[in-house]
Amino acid sequence: MQQSPSILYASNLKKSYGTVEAIKGINLNIQGSGVYAILGQNGAGKTSLIKCALGLEKITSGTLQVIGSAPGTLQAKRQIGVILQDSDLPDLLTVKEQITLFASYYPTPFSVEKTIEMCALEDFADKRYKKLSGGQKRRAQFALAIVGNPQLIFLDEPTTGLDIEARRNLWAVIRDFAKQGKTIVLTTHYLEEAENLADRIMIMNSGIIVADASPSEIQKQSKGSVIRCETSTSYEVLQKLTGVSSVSISGRFSEIHSTDVNQSLSEMLSLDPNLKDLTVNQPKLEDVFGRLSQGVK
Amino acid sequence: MSRILHSFVLETGAELLKALRAPEFIFPTLGMPVAFYSLFAIMIPGSSNNPDYLLATYGVFAVMGPAIFGFGISVANERDKGWLDLKLAAPSLGFSYIAAKVCSTLLFSSLSLVIIYLVAGFAAGVVLPQPTWALLLTTHILATFPFILIGLIIGFIFNANAAIAISNVIFLAFAALGGLWIPIMLFPQSMQSFAHFLPTFHLSEIALYVLGAPGERDLNYHILIIAIMSLVLLAATAFAWSKQRNH
Repeated sequence: MQQSPSILYASNLKKSYGTVEAIKGINLNIQGSGVYAILGQNGAGKTSLIKCALGLEKITSGTLQVIGSAPGTLQAKRQIGVILQDSDLPDLLTVKEQITLFASYYPTPFSVEKTIEMCALEDFADKRYKKLSGGQKRRAQFALAIVGNPQLIFLDEPTTGLDIEARRNLWAVIRDFAKQGKTIVLTTHYLEEAENLADRIMIMNSGIIVADASPSEIQKQSKGSVIRCETSTSYEVLQKLTGVSSVSISGRFSEIHSTDVNQSLSEMLSLDPNLKDLTVNQPKLEDVFGRLSQGVK
Repeated sequence: MSRILHSFVLETGAELLKALRAPEFIFPTLGMPVAFYSLFAIMIPGSSNNPDYLLATYGVFAVMGPAIFGFGISVANERDKGWLDLKLAAPSLGFSYIAAKVCSTLLFSSLSLVIIYLVAGFAAGVVLPQPTWALLLTTHILATFPFILIGLIIGFIFNANAAIAISNVIFLAFAALGGLWIPIMLFPQSMQSFAHFLPTFHLSEIALYVLGAPGERDLNYHILIIAIMSLVLLAATAFAWSKQRNH
């Protein structure tokens, strides 16, 4: 069986800044086209991973390859586009001027007109970057990421700080680009974003990948609600109640993840009418992380 | 090859557009030198040698602004905003970012010089043989390079806000203390000695020598000091660059 070439390959990859270990040994093999989301909180090591893949940071040990080349080589750079986290373009140049300049760096770029069309920039292509809204700025950055017709694009938290509508607009553009047989590696701390866009979700926590799953698996884990209370009912009994998918104990509290909150709660109350400090919440990203990492290990 | 050239032309064009669209850059780089020269050489007449003398020193002042502001503030700003990282991640030739800025800076300093030369020749009554004009122009344009290095060091070390402050302080202090505005002969002795530590002083002495201004000047001494200063600045630039890459 012929194996398709690796787009992004990491083996026991480590990256430290002084004594701080940002990446603690990652193995990764992304092959073929599609959207791959790296989901994690701030400080999980997502941006470090991307900076290493771009050649902006040197890896400490292990192996990292981008489309078969070492990060930072001209060969690798020609096949990559990127939106960096918290970055901005020069204020005083128009969107079209910036796209024209960036196109000139690549051997086989898209035409400027085609790029403008693909990113839906027609309405503001001749405006200076400074005058654009947050969502428009991010779409202009996306245009620079794709204008070189790269095989792989990295989007480091592309929708942070955008409103819902701007976020949806950018998602649509990203999806269209993925349909052309390209690979997109996207970091985000929005579960919703990963679920909406990604074909595969990798969850990163404290410098390691704790889970690697399809969005449907993640969705299963993130549905329902988390019931938190102090109760005398035992762990074993709680686990068997209707709708309960998992139970964890933290300190004096029991945390019950349930897909049928009403039923689970009424059973809990009948078993222990004196349960205290009751709260019911949507599952947080950390909860999903916790369950997934337990499930995978 | 033509693709690299095409890219470089676009890069330089982008630098020129950014500069031309920023009034806060145009005023100190193009407006201030000619305004000061007109004020001191024409409106406040002193000895008959003044317009010539001041042409040499204000020429140095004219090339200092584009270099220190063009590099100091813009590199710091573009580094802060992640634009430099984006360029380094893209397959642009690493050197083209700096080279385009050098070209755009030289165009601006030349423009600033031409404006002052026109005012000197037509309004202030400076008369020089043609080869002297040409040699003076060459001297002044070459004088841009040490200031480019100073600008780069500022741009690599400081964040955008600090770079604005530091660039202004260096720009004004180097001009005043190096004798670009008022000849250092009029300074107290201690300040005259201090001027020897500033590139502005040595560059203006070289320009005065080229122009044939009265007074004894040791051309070789000033060229040697400028050469040493440039080498030290070059080493400092390389150090600042590697430091900001491995912050």
